[in-house]
Amino acid sequence: MLAPVEIDVETLRRMAALGGFAWTDAELESLRPAVERLLEMLERLEAVPIGELEPTTQYRVL
Amino acid sequence: MSELFWASMADLGRMIATKEVSPVEVIRAHLDRIAALDAKLRAFITVCADAALQAARGAEADLMAGKVAGPLHGVPWAPKDLYSTKGVRTTGGSKILADSVPRADATVVARLGAAGAIVLGKLNMHEFAYGPEGLNAHYGDARNPWDAGAHRITGGSSSGSGAAVAAGLAPGSLGSDTGGSIRIPASLCGITGLKPTYGRVSRAGVLPLAWSMDHVGPMTRTARDCALILHAIAGYDPADPTTSVLPVPDYTAALTGDMKGLRVGLLRAHFTDVAAPDVRASVEAAAKQLERAGAIVDEVNLAQVIHVAAASSAIVASEALAYHAAWMRSRAQDYQPDVRERLRVGAFISGTHYVRAQQVRALVSREVDEALAKRDVLLAPATPIPATILGERQTTLADGKSDVRSALIRLTRPFNFSGHPACAAPCGFTGSGLPIGLQIVGRPFDEATVLRVVDAYQRLTDWHTRRPPSA
Repeated sequence: MLAPVEIDVETLRRMAALGGFAWTDAELESLRPAVERLLEMLERLEAVPIGELEPTTQYRVL
Repeated sequence: MSELFWASMADLGRMIATKEVSPVEVIRAHLDRIAALDAKLRAFITVCADAALQAARGAEADLMAGKVAGPLHGVPWAPKDLYSTKGVRTTGGSKILADSVPRADATVVARLGAAGAIVLGKLNMHEFAYGPEGLNAHYGDARNPWDAGAHRITGGSSSGSGAAVAAGLAPGSLGSDTGGSIRIPASLCGITGLKPTYGRVSRAGVLPLAWSMDHVGPMTRTARDCALILHAIAGYDPADPTTSVLPVPDYTAALTGDMKGLRVGLLRAHFTDVAAPDVRASVEAAAKQLERAGAIVDEVNLAQVIHVAAASSAIVASEALAYHAAWMRSRAQDYQPDVRERLRVGAFISGTHYVRAQQVRALVSREVDEALAKRDVLLAPATPIPATILGERQTTLADGKSDVRSALIRLTRPFNFSGHPACAAPCGFTGSGLPIGLQIVGRPFDEATVLRVVDAYQRLTDWHTRRPPSA
């Protein structure tokens, strides 16, 4: 069981700024629960046994 | 036929070709229907009455001159408003593109036009296709015709397509499906919707949500009509490098009604077993019906689908924000609030998260392929719940509470993730009269078998022939 992900508004602001987004503290605060939930889910993916599988998109036999 | 607006596309095409009805009569019947019901249903963003009548007169003249474009000659349809239509605004359900008028048709719009089909107008949708409820703050929320009080969602994002086809405003539509946006409204509105294999149908000229998860496909009232549309639109397109060069079969020829010996895997854990009791009972009854028709039904589990929610969220959020980044910097206030928030979340997903998600995608795809190595199709509910009331946020599934949004996409999204073809079709009604949808999933590029199963089921049942009370 992984610990819940906690992320503060300052960290969110810096991450958003890297993408060129200047969002207010109120906007970032309202995003925080959704971001924490998603990052927690993504951390769980680290434990998935994917072995040597290469990343794929949808391109199949054409 | 007194009520032309309830005729299937196949029947309309036949009646037009045999001069039983004229294309002008058919188009007028649908325009009258739109005029009578659309203020309540809010299915259309733009109605192209004059252009449709003009095209119908042209189709009639061609017919009289012995020129028939094919089985869709003079037959009306309406695309979701994210397909480029030459000279007709294409809003994506947004304020941002409210006045955007394309100079050319999307490939599939052009292909249906070449097949003789006539555009009635452009259909409502969740803004920029980013939501499974079908909500739209700019053009109004489309309403589910099965709720006489008009207070239930259609499902989305192809909300107008679901409402219009279910209520007889259009006999067919093209939707788009990134997490279930064809199959969810098909399920909630009691119609038939096919998400083809990724690469089977061109996305050129279609506004993207997430390039690697986006699929386009037909929404109609029957599997046969889905087959007709798919045959007209499928195939390689140099404008979409992801399209396949595999030949396009005659999908209607596959509709034999024969189920004998066909192997069907009923998806249990994470699919049928999490659905609401009446949904589960209807899908189990459908499995038994297919078995009685000669199919060999067994049960199968896809264990890796528990990772789909996280991985596909990372992929969709990243790709969607990449497309919308410039507008999100300059016009964020012009998005409806739920879409703006979902787009913003994409800014916090790293490159390593995205790649990990694509690795998990390979794992899930492989598992679905393995399940289909021993079976022709898989069967599951399309949605675990029927249409909810507008504004309802929470629901309860067999494995616990869920927000409505997550519940709606839970059973469809795995096959956007894996790229397999999947078709939703009605398989019953709840005690309160709301449609229940099943989902048939097939092998890559085997839409013919998927449609064959849905068609065979529709020959055995009458769910797809029932009409909503508010229509």
